[in-house]
Amino acid sequence: MGLMENVPKVLDPLPGGSRLADAVDYVVNWARSRSIWPLTFGTSCCAIEMMAASMARYDISRFGSEVFRASPRQADLFIVAGTIVEKMAEPLVRLYEQMPGPKWVIAMGSCTISGGPFYYDNYSVVKGVDRLIPVDVFVPGCPPRPEALLNGLVLLQEKIRKETLRNPRRPGEPLSAPAEDRWARAKEAWEELERIKDEQMAEARAKFAAEHPDYKPPKPPRAEKPAFPEVAREPAPHAGWNARAVADAVHARFPELKLFRLGDVAPEVLEARPADWIPSFEVPSGKLLEVARWLKDGELKMDFPLLLTSVDRLDRFELVAQLMNSSTSARVELRVPVEKIFPEGGSYAAGEKNQKYGATAPSLVPVWPGMGWHEREIYDLMGIRFEGNPDMRRIFLEEDFPGHPLRKDFDMPGRAIPRHA
Amino acid sequence: MTARTRQTLPPGFLLPVRDGETDEFYLNLGPQHPSTHGALRVVVRLDGETIREVVPRLGYIHRGIEYQAERDNVLQFVHFADRFDYLTALQNEHAVCLAAEKALGIGVPERGEWIRVVADELTRISSHLIFLGSFGTDLGGTTTFLYAFKMREAVTQLFDELCGARLTTNFLRPGGCARDLPEGFVQKTRAALETVKRGMDEWDVFLSGNVIFQERTRGVGILPADRAVALGCSGPVLRGSGVEFDLRKKEPYSLYSKFDFDVPVGSVGDCWDRYAVRVEEIRQSARILEQALDDVPEGPWRSKEKVSWRLDEGSWWSEVETAKGILGVQLESQGKSDKPWRIKVRSPSFSNLMALDEMCRGQKVADLVAILGSIDPVIPEVDR
Ligand code: SF4
Repeated sequence: MGLMENVPKVLDPLPGGSRLADAVDYVVNWARSRSIWPLTFGTSCCAIEMMAASMARYDISRFGSEVFRASPRQADLFIVAGTIVEKMAEPLVRLYEQMPGPKWVIAMGSCTISGGPFYYDNYSVVKGVDRLIPVDVFVPGCPPRPEALLNGLVLLQEKIRKETLRNPRRPGEPLSAPAEDRWARAKEAWEELERIKDEQMAEARAKFAAEHPDYKPPKPPRAEKPAFPEVAREPAPHAGWNARAVADAVHARFPELKLFRLGDVAPEVLEARPADWIPSFEVPSGKLLEVARWLKDGELKMDFPLLLTSVDRLDRFELVAQLMNSSTSARVELRVPVEKIFPEGGSYAAGEKNQKYGATAPSLVPVWPGMGWHEREIYDLMGIRFEGNPDMRRIFLEEDFPGHPLRKDFDMPGRAIPRHA
Repeated sequence: MTARTRQTLPPGFLLPVRDGETDEFYLNLGPQHPSTHGALRVVVRLDGETIREVVPRLGYIHRGIEYQAERDNVLQFVHFADRFDYLTALQNEHAVCLAAEKALGIGVPERGEWIRVVADELTRISSHLIFLGSFGTDLGGTTTFLYAFKMREAVTQLFDELCGARLTTNFLRPGGCARDLPEGFVQKTRAALETVKRGMDEWDVFLSGNVIFQERTRGVGILPADRAVALGCSGPVLRGSGVEFDLRKKEPYSLYSKFDFDVPVGSVGDCWDRYAVRVEEIRQSARILEQALDDVPEGPWRSKEKVSWRLDEGSWWSEVETAKGILGVQLESQGKSDKPWRIKVRSPSFSNLMALDEMCRGQKVADLVAILGSIDPVIPEVDR
């Protein structure tokens, strides 16, 4: 780069030298714009369309860009394809900084432009990759079709051809660049245009009304709306097992357990259940391990950990576990109330944000090893600690993330922008 | 191999430190790595070239969709379902719609169900094709990607005509689907199926029959059946281990009980079995589609639209066998609102990825990529 930057300085003072410098400019830009090597980087959906663009049907190699490089040190185009979350921000900036200049960035998809579908009500998505690194071309779409990406590439080539050695492009220092509110500026410009348009329209309307005092607009034809029937839902019965038999078996072993939301296990209650019902029992957390062991090793042989999640019921948490028998597909659901423990002996205050409390529950890992990550997820997002889980760390968010986002009192102004404020 | 790593293990590693002098060291892979299928990061504990333990670090694409879902109504959640596992977009939508239908008591007319089955099976084919392409690439053969994408484009074209989008389709609705079949869809689907079937015959010759490919997959990354079940693996990972579990047979939803198809299973549970199961599933999906195309029901493609999405108090669970495994949606409502109190998506890739550690132990580091590829995880679905 250093040598190239000096070309104009040396050539310009010579007679006719500036022409020569222009010619060098032209040749260099021509070469650069036609062999842009992109970095293989895709985090989510948009990456698939990026791949499709490089495959036979769309064939990005027509534009000299087919050499996708897996290492940033060999690439000069960074196609940011896919959502960027806060945890990914740091690796992303590092990748950009590892690329040798001159380098360019295409932001592919609405996620990288503004957060896209994840703009509102989201605590983890970076709302626009241009907050992290300088972007040359934005390609809108969710995902943009491969043609759109090709168009973006052509735009970038045009841009490169306009660069000059006299004013070389310096890769910006991404993190220190001030975040600019382009959205507000664009909105202002748009509103101004709208205002002018409204004025002109009003004028034209007044003029028309004066010229044609008895004009009546024709009625626009209406598209025929298809009428859809009301169809009643028919619950499909379970193919290989009987929900009543499972409920009875659990009841016979643990008569004290109640059905969730339904109360006691009684024949008339079971009879009234729909055909696709899954037996659901309320289990106190002290009894959970005993019930779990029996479910796995007892007659029901529930060996498959299908689901473990939790619900914040404001005054308490509720664990939801669904177990399955892997040969008959018989199910049973357990609901475990988990108390919220306030360190200073307080209690849940309705409406108050970011309250301080903890909760613990027994871990199911000794019974079903497959519950391990599910428990870590619950710990991460709801803050319930599982005693007995060998690896009780956060699974998705950074260790220092403040709070647990799926708690109903989680609030973090400035991070999540509410849509319905 | 600093002194620090000898004494204290990095977070997540559970195997005890061995006594005496060992060659143990740690290797980082990702989050930007061409064979981690998106933004997955794994840290590998190696003893020489042998893997002792693998710890995936998740969250590099955790988008907080479940948080967002609590703030919108169920209908608005359908398009987020596309973005979990974008390769099986229509199947994810199916699961969400089933949950909403359960909650609101909406039925689906026969033609609507038919379109769903066709969409599901086309999705399965296209998702497995991506797997075949990327699996071949992971093992060092770039050509497979080109061939797989060529076949997949034929299917993607159908999605494009069906719903105007190639990937994130947003097509199904509680009660049916958004639009009727476009003109000529049946003929075009038949043509696409021909392309896929011809392509698969070719595939058998140039990849499945390739000796190097077989050497690199047979006996690598074995997952015994009981471990697969205990870890909650599903889909081709579970079936590759020899457990015949497919929701389309065990809990038939939609019209699946009407169709005649087989559930392929493996015997050893190695990478080859998982691969072979998927190859066969493509053929079985084509078989279902052919039966479906012979008999297209007439009539409306959706039931009457709901005016209100208000949910009563309750909990509903729905599940679908996607190309990756069991995708379930747990919908909770406290009543008096059209916004769900909680939506939890049980994603198959999340549970399948848990088995990575077990499959990798004792294998060589070069096989890590093959094993990871054979699980076919989609990371945005793992992280959600
Ligand atoms: S823009 Fe849309 S398709 Fe692209 S990554 Fe974001 S959500 Fe996915």
